[in-house]
Amino acid sequence: MGDSIMSYNGSAIVVMVGKNCVGIASDRRFGVRQQTVATDFQKIYKMHDKLFVGLSGLATDAQTMYEKLKLRLNLYKLREERDIKPSSFSHLIASMLYERRFGPYFVEPLIAGLEGPENKPYICGTDLIGAPVFTNAFWSPELAQNLVRHVRDFVASGFGARGFVEVMAQCLLSAVDRDCLSGWGAVVNIITPD
Amino acid sequence: MARRYDSRTTIFSPEGRLFQVEYAMEAISHAGAAIGIVSQEGIVLAAEKKIISKLLDDDKSTEKMYKLDDHIACAVAGITADANILINYARVAAQRYLFAYQEPQPIEQLVTQLCDLKQGYTQYGGMRPFGVSLLYAGWDKIHGFQLYSSDPSGNYGGWKATAIGANNQAAQSILKQEWKAELNLKEALQLAVKVMSKTMDSTSLTAEKLEFATLTRPGDEVRYRVLTDQQVEALLKEANVGAEKKEEL
Repeated sequence: MGDSIMSYNGSAIVVMVGKNCVGIASDRRFGVRQQTVATDFQKIYKMHDKLFVGLSGLATDAQTMYEKLKLRLNLYKLREERDIKPSSFSHLIASMLYERRFGPYFVEPLIAGLEGPENKPYICGTDLIGAPVFTNAFWSPELAQNLVRHVRDFVASGFGARGFVEVMAQCLLSAVDRDCLSGWGAVVNIITPD
Repeated sequence: MARRYDSRTTIFSPEGRLFQVEYAMEAISHAGAAIGIVSQEGIVLAAEKKIISKLLDDDKSTEKMYKLDDHIACAVAGITADANILINYARVAAQRYLFAYQEPQPIEQLVTQLCDLKQGYTQYGGMRPFGVSLLYAGWDKIHGFQLYSSDPSGNYGGWKATAIGANNQAAQSILKQEWKAELNLKEALQLAVKVMSKTMDSTSLTAEKLEFATLTRPGDEVRYRVLTDQQVEALLKEANVGAEKKEEL
């Protein structure tokens, strides 16, 4: 389906807030239109102990975006001598994407982290030109319509870490079963204060 | 006598000297000393802190030593403001390389880039040179542990042990006598303490006047560690150069 550049490689990522924790999950498929090329493709990256980012959309742009983020984050860490806050990181991504407003990176990032000394769960998503969405329940990029429907039913703000893994995994897998361009396994990352 | 040839940085004097570059090096010889020693297990950097005041806010962890990338660190001697520019340049250069090649930049390449920048200020533009000398310590997979030093002219050299800043000739001659290839990290640290105690102006060495850092590679990752005040004190105590400054044979 070459209708949208965002579904050329296919991917499904979701972030969710739990009790004292956040989760981010993705599928593992890398494909070129209908043809599956790899089943161990990484879409979620750890930026530091309390910050993960998932990059959905065109795979080449997602990888380049990750490398650019790594560059910015390394410089930040060297100069500030501390890790970046998830909220600052979201603003960083949003401005990096908007810089390319009229020739964008075809990436829709999702950010999950624990913010501040109280480790408050934080999630954020942006569209491909950097419009951020701050919610405190869940988020998933526009294409994964089915994912959103499933997740809404499972909104897990009361779940603790262990149950949370199950919830996220099941949401992702059931949504992914309905989308022929994502699947081939899943990775679920949960961040807790320890 | 040499007055006529000072004002322009980019011209030679009749004797073939670049006065501004020499004046820059003179500025550095008044700055706090820094030494680097290569050992079998890694590199030791030691530096003398010049700005000591209890009113000083501790926003940055170190005054003279900086991490340039995960595998490279440096110590500076000279005009701090100039040093900050160079450190920032080096950090960005290292990240640019990492972005392009997805692997850490070889140390000599980073040193060359910085030195080319410094050299530019001695040949073009009419701006004064940077009044900073740097010691670069790092590990890469091509040559292992390496120590380089560069000066305002843009010249650099690879060393097994070297010193920059105040009294660097005295420090250099002690290092020449005492350095050996079989030094381990602990011995290198002790040698650093010895050299600092002999070349620093102050009568007694305390942890607040010194900074020590080590660059090692315990497993697969390069580790840059700045010694805490307690660790420095323990080191000074072992070498017996505390408040009484006993002579050591």
